[in-house]
Amino acid sequence: MTDMMHIFEMLQPTSLDEAVALLDKHGKDGWVIAGGKDSFDWFKDRVKKPEYLIDISGVKELYGIEDKGDHIAIGPMVTLTDLNQNKLVKELFPVLADAAGRVASPQIRNSGTIGGNICQDTRCAYYRDGFPCYRAGGNTCYANTPTAMNREHTLFEAKRCVAVTPADTAPALSVLDAQMVIARDGKLRTVSVDDFFVGPEIDIERMTAVERDKGDLLVQIKIPKTWAGSRQYFEKVADRQVWDFALVNVAMAAKVGADGSIEALQMSCGAVQCTPRRLKDVESLVVGEKANGELEKLVERVAARGAKPLNYNQFKAPLMSQLAKRAIRSLSA
Amino acid sequence: MSYKIIGKDLTPPDIESKVTGKARYAEDFRADGMVFVKVLSSPMPHAKVTGIDLSKAKQVPGFVGVLTADELKQPKDAGHAILSSTPAFVGQPILAIAAETEQAAAEAIELVDVSLEPLPFVIDPLDSLKPDGPNALDGGNVANRRGVKFQEIKWSGKDFAIAGDDALPMGAAPIDWSWGDLEAKFKESELVLEETFVSSANAHHALEPRSAAAYWENGKLHLWGSTQSSSFAVPSLAKYVGIEPKDVVMVSEFCGGGFGGKGYAYPVMAIPAFMSKKLGGRPVMMRMSRAEEFYNGSARAGFQGWVKVGFGKNGRIKAIDAFVVQDNGPTGGFWDFQNFGDASSIVFQPEAMRYRGIPVLTNTPPKGPQRGPGENQTANIMEPIMNKAARKLGIDPLDLRLVNSPGEGGKNATVGAKQSPVTSAYLKEALEQGAKTFGYAEKKKNSGKRNGSKIRAVGIGQAYHSAGAAGFDGLVRITPDGVLHIHTGVGNLGTYSYMDTARVAAEVLGYNWDHCVIERGGTKANMPWNLGQFGSNTSFTMTRTNFAAGTACKNLLLEIGAQVMGGTPEDYDLKDEKVIAKSGNGSMTFADAAKKAIELGGKFSGAELDEELNPMTKASATALAGTGLVAAAKDKLPKKGTVPGLAAAFIEIDLDVETGRVEIIDYLGIPDVGTVLHPKGLAAQVRGAAVMGFGLAALERIVYDPEYGRPQIRGLYQAKPPSWLDVPAAMQSVYVEGATDPQNPVGAKGVGEPIQGAASSAYLAAITEALDGHTFNRVPVVADMIINHVNGLPQSHKPLQIACQ
Amino acid sequence: MSWEVKDAESNGVGMMMPPDPADDFGPEPGTIGIAGNVPGEPESWRPPTMSRRAFLRGVICSGVVIASSGYLFSSNKAHAAAKQTDRLITLSVNGRKHRLDVPPNETLAHTLRYRLGLTGTKIGCNRAECGACTVIIGEQTEYSCSTLTMRVQGKEIRTIEGVAQNGRLHPVQQAFIDELGPQCGFCTPGQVMSAVNLLEKNPNPSVDDVRQALSGNLCRCGAYEHYLNGVMSAAKRV
Repeated sequence: MTDMMHIFEMLQPTSLDEAVALLDKHGKDGWVIAGGKDSFDWFKDRVKKPEYLIDISGVKELYGIEDKGDHIAIGPMVTLTDLNQNKLVKELFPVLADAAGRVASPQIRNSGTIGGNICQDTRCAYYRDGFPCYRAGGNTCYANTPTAMNREHTLFEAKRCVAVTPADTAPALSVLDAQMVIARDGKLRTVSVDDFFVGPEIDIERMTAVERDKGDLLVQIKIPKTWAGSRQYFEKVADRQVWDFALVNVAMAAKVGADGSIEALQMSCGAVQCTPRRLKDVESLVVGEKANGELEKLVERVAARGAKPLNYNQFKAPLMSQLAKRAIRSLSA
Repeated sequence: MSYKIIGKDLTPPDIESKVTGKARYAEDFRADGMVFVKVLSSPMPHAKVTGIDLSKAKQVPGFVGVLTADELKQPKDAGHAILSSTPAFVGQPILAIAAETEQAAAEAIELVDVSLEPLPFVIDPLDSLKPDGPNALDGGNVANRRGVKFQEIKWSGKDFAIAGDDALPMGAAPIDWSWGDLEAKFKESELVLEETFVSSANAHHALEPRSAAAYWENGKLHLWGSTQSSSFAVPSLAKYVGIEPKDVVMVSEFCGGGFGGKGYAYPVMAIPAFMSKKLGGRPVMMRMSRAEEFYNGSARAGFQGWVKVGFGKNGRIKAIDAFVVQDNGPTGGFWDFQNFGDASSIVFQPEAMRYRGIPVLTNTPPKGPQRGPGENQTANIMEPIMNKAARKLGIDPLDLRLVNSPGEGGKNATVGAKQSPVTSAYLKEALEQGAKTFGYAEKKKNSGKRNGSKIRAVGIGQAYHSAGAAGFDGLVRITPDGVLHIHTGVGNLGTYSYMDTARVAAEVLGYNWDHCVIERGGTKANMPWNLGQFGSNTSFTMTRTNFAAGTACKNLLLEIGAQVMGGTPEDYDLKDEKVIAKSGNGSMTFADAAKKAIELGGKFSGAELDEELNPMTKASATALAGTGLVAAAKDKLPKKGTVPGLAAAFIEIDLDVETGRVEIIDYLGIPDVGTVLHPKGLAAQVRGAAVMGFGLAALERIVYDPEYGRPQIRGLYQAKPPSWLDVPAAMQSVYVEGATDPQNPVGAKGVGEPIQGAASSAYLAAITEALDGHTFNRVPVVADMIINHVNGLPQSHKPLQIACQ
Repeated sequence: MSWEVKDAESNGVGMMMPPDPADDFGPEPGTIGIAGNVPGEPESWRPPTMSRRAFLRGVICSGVVIASSGYLFSSNKAHAAAKQTDRLITLSVNGRKHRLDVPPNETLAHTLRYRLGLTGTKIGCNRAECGACTVIIGEQTEYSCSTLTMRVQGKEIRTIEGVAQNGRLHPVQQAFIDELGPQCGFCTPGQVMSAVNLLEKNPNPSVDDVRQALSGNLCRCGAYEHYLNGVMSAAKRV
């Protein structure tokens, strides 16, 4: 309520080793700061008050976009603006460039990072307001009650927590089969995008495979060239065209043969589930088919299959279906 | 009538400081030894403070002082407290702490231990009207600052049973008026529509939060505040602080947006004043956060209502019967709901009308007037209904409006419960001229046509707000250097009306604008008593006051001319900043006249004043007495009837049935403002109001969790005021040609509010057109609602549900 | 005795004068007594705190049950007064260097406004949701309210005060004046910074470029089109 951040100590490592050591040392009392755009709200509302901020902006190893031959390597500290404007990314993975360009506002994209965007916490209004819910270490969910305001919450797999994945870049990375490299205890492990975003059944208190109390740090995002140059599509529907998080967004990467039939396709929606949701029903439907009005109708039918609306979010099911349809429609051109 | 200065684009004297960052707002005040104040806000919608433990807070290094509710006078009944021990809304200030740094104040607030006993709370007004429903305040659930005393009103179980869940129960209403033969007129009607509706409350969210800074010196309070009005806010602030207006020195040079929420002084403004007094006059800065601005900064009232409209065969509205339950907030609020009656009566000119309304208290942000309070909600509900009716009657939506809207100068138009006359009205002309400029006939041909996933549609909107008052004072002064000082108490909320109305004085005197200085910005400017900057009134009201002052000044100049050069005042005229003899023999510069005025004293130099002037004006004139030719005058021009601000708007949209997104292709706003004072300023208002209108129609609403009574729209990204990319790049701004208000000396009246309601209602009417005449009867219309409708799904909310998603 | 509201006075022209909310306090004049907080006074008494469990089970008044009290008890635990460790840094603002002692949690907006007297940068929301605090850091716009001062030492910071050079307005500033861009003016410094930054990167922007570049600057007065005309006009003069 006072709008002033709590008092904290800020450590500014200048190397990856130093950063990892600090995270290891401070565990749960440490908090990684990239662009800070997700963190500062928690601090100003005094809902989360870590003692130590670990500012990784000085760690050079975390920057850069490099062509590594069979994949491109993106440092988590790359800003969303840089990602959106990078020639390589625009050429090979326009779905990711587009998604990055739709996040928030220009000023936020200028300092907000890709790592921050995918590691950001969920936006559930109850959670953000400091209610002691499951995600906050409590023993209930305030958004999944008969009267709760939950238009922005999950359509699928409501398992105790009904909050959704908010990042626009998440579904893009999902369809590109991205891999995330996480450092812990001086060792690196690679996690597929599907395993990077986690749901409540794995750990209800975090959104990703990055475990703060174990000193994890995301150090690289790798995008294999499997889908480079494929037909790609991104669309975000939100209340306003700036700042607002997606009501539903969709990302798609598709390989279309010379005869126009779809050889392979991956499609993912954000903001409909706690993790980006791969539209498997659509993917299995379209392979071998040509994109046309008939296919669109079928896609519309299956895209949101299994949706279990909450009080106020049933509109997300048809919206999701429409977005899937529009993605397929883009292949008709 | 051609003017020298009026009607031209001029550069406002303060605009450069806005683009350079030199303009100073309340939170830019700085002083040595300044301390910082933070408030502790109630986390509960309704509670009783049962204990406060300050021991830890006081130990924070830099802690300087605390102010608690028991140290301040409390308002009665449903009054808006400064600090409260029985907070009635989430965010109501309970106590305030001052410290040497803002950080220390924040730490101290965090360490205050407050024990709160939760009390029953109300979010939905209908809940409170139930026989066993809770009351938002102890002792009552109904109140309104206009005509409804604090009391408890409960409707019967039968009232609710008859209505059922989805229709508005209609029990006893403290406001109930009617005229004409309602029953007969409905019987005559070819088509009768009955609609149950909800219009959401939404916060003003002015971009500048209402920070304030204060110190005391020589028994006077010096306060830097954010207010729409300058002179009008002074006695208001004095009342909060319990001192005489003459002991207030108010600095209000710039105001970062008000929209009705800062028309007067307001309770939180008094907090730094009291804290400073407690600290021996030490300068105190209170920075309000965005969330605090949401809590304390006012919101538009919400409506749950019912309206029945009877149309004749040709679309003429025979009868309107309306009932509005208002979400009044936890205080006396504003009378939006009563304006439903006024607005629908003047815009539609029904042949019979009944209006009933009841203001119900809720534990949500205090409600106050927001741009077109009540009238714009009315427009948003009624205009789509017009389109629905047009379809059913087989009439063009434009023709349907033309057959009802007042025009031709308003000669047969009336407004309100007493069917009062209006000073002028050109709404019909606005529709006709607007339709032509917009190309309505052409665009209409594509309305309803589908192109891929988009449906093209055209909409028309109309709105009203009373736009003028009289009886206030003007004050001008000519100094011995010949410069005209136009003193104004008009606030600077961004409309530049302070400049546009000041011109009238210069125009009357024939002054070159380069030789004029506008004295404004607060007490130090020696302000005359002006009405506040709200209600679209300034262009009407303050042109009259400046006309009065200018005329008084002119008369004094002519008298001086006669005294010095012989003869009578009738022998003289004013030209080129000189008093010249009509005969051609003799002239005297205004500069010399000013010198003479000082010499003569008395009524010429401000030493003798009209008894009827307001005390503020008298004090200002007295302070200036002897510095030149001082002319203070009260606007005593004849006045009768309501001055109506009226506006129409045309819009073309593409509604995407797949995403629920509405894109605005073209927009035209056309207000009836009479004479245009400032062309670019008018365009800024027309476009700015449209932007705000689109927010009202499509985006903005309060959302409360009903279980805990906590708001989910404190932040701007939740409240959703429109951004650059939510509005079209270009919008047309025109005005009714040939319109004039006979009760204003330059024929002008105000614009700010109805032009918002015209925009928002046009947008909503267009959606109705796109969806085959479907009315959502709920504002705002968000993507969810469109998507549900298009896909044949029921809406997620119940028809009368309010403060929800 | 209940509170009677006088019918709002009409001044004869039919405009309902809105009653002053200050009148909620009643007509009695006079000063309001301020109690002093005399040192040594005992702290306010408070009753023994109801146990959380007892509270959770409690039924309050007319049957309204508050099932969980989470929102009533802020999740912060009273922590030992954390030590504020200020650090001496050098900040470069508008070409001038400043040596400052700042704590880690201080935002650039606060530093500019309260330590350096540069009040042109405004705080509209403090949450990166409005853009009133926009400054240029290096070659890009950022929200100073959401930038920690300690993290921008060594970078070139430009604020609204540094836009006009030697008393001469930047073309954007002049164009905003000519097009009557600012209304209340609170968003104006931020709009100027975004516009100046755009024109430095793209001297010949399209309408769409301008709208995108300034999209992170909210204007509650809705002056967008006037600002747009200003930027397009300034582009011709830059």
